[in-house]
Amino acid sequence: MWMLSFVPDAWLLLAVYGVLAAGAGLYTFSYFTAFVPALIPFKEPVRILGTVLVIAGVYFYGSYDTEESWRARVAEAEARVAQAEVESKQANDRLAKKSAERVQVIRDRGLIVRQYIDREVVKYDETCKIPDVVVNVHNAAARNEEIK
Amino acid sequence: MRYFLIAMALVLSACATTVPVVAKFPDEPGKAAVEKCPQLTTVENGVKLSDLTRTVTMNYSTYYECAVKVDTWIEWYQIQKKIHEDIRK
Repeated sequence: MWMLSFVPDAWLLLAVYGVLAAGAGLYTFSYFTAFVPALIPFKEPVRILGTVLVIAGVYFYGSYDTEESWRARVAEAEARVAQAEVESKQANDRLAKKSAERVQVIRDRGLIVRQYIDREVVKYDETCKIPDVVVNVHNAAARNEEIK
Repeated sequence: MRYFLIAMALVLSACATTVPVVAKFPDEPGKAAVEKCPQLTTVENGVKLSDLTRTVTMNYSTYYECAVKVDTWIEWYQIQKKIHEDIRK
């Protein structure tokens, strides 16, 4: 069945109908052999061959139908996956845009705060000395380390 | 014997199972999302008050930017999970 996936649908159907038609044709032909004396000995073999071909044709038709239903399922699954990939990409684009906008807002607000520091806080640089313990506390917190 | 082996190889090929439909793993939500969060900035002894507050401000910004990344990944997971589940329906 795996190898059938390489054969086009039309060829498969043609082969199946070909076997069925050959079987039916041979079976019908076996009745006419009675009218031709030279073909009378071939009557039974032709009839048997025709019957075998009809049975094989019906079997192949069943296989073809199963193959077709699998191909339809695969095609449906592929379509869903393709749709999911498109949705995924769109969602990622939306998320990336939203994320970039939020980061920009954070940077803009940080800039405003730093401008305020440069304008107002610098006035207290000389009067407010920062003890080393404060620096240690800040750095320990920033590095997520124990305070030495 | 040679024909038998060829015939067996041909017949056994029918046993091969293939997975014709493969879903691609979804991409990341933007290149910025896969960058690591930076270390927070430290200060030197004798730092000025303005420099200290500036550093604290920058560290807070760093935290918020990193929080955006985490939020983005959480949302990404929820969306991709839903899309993946919808394929199976």
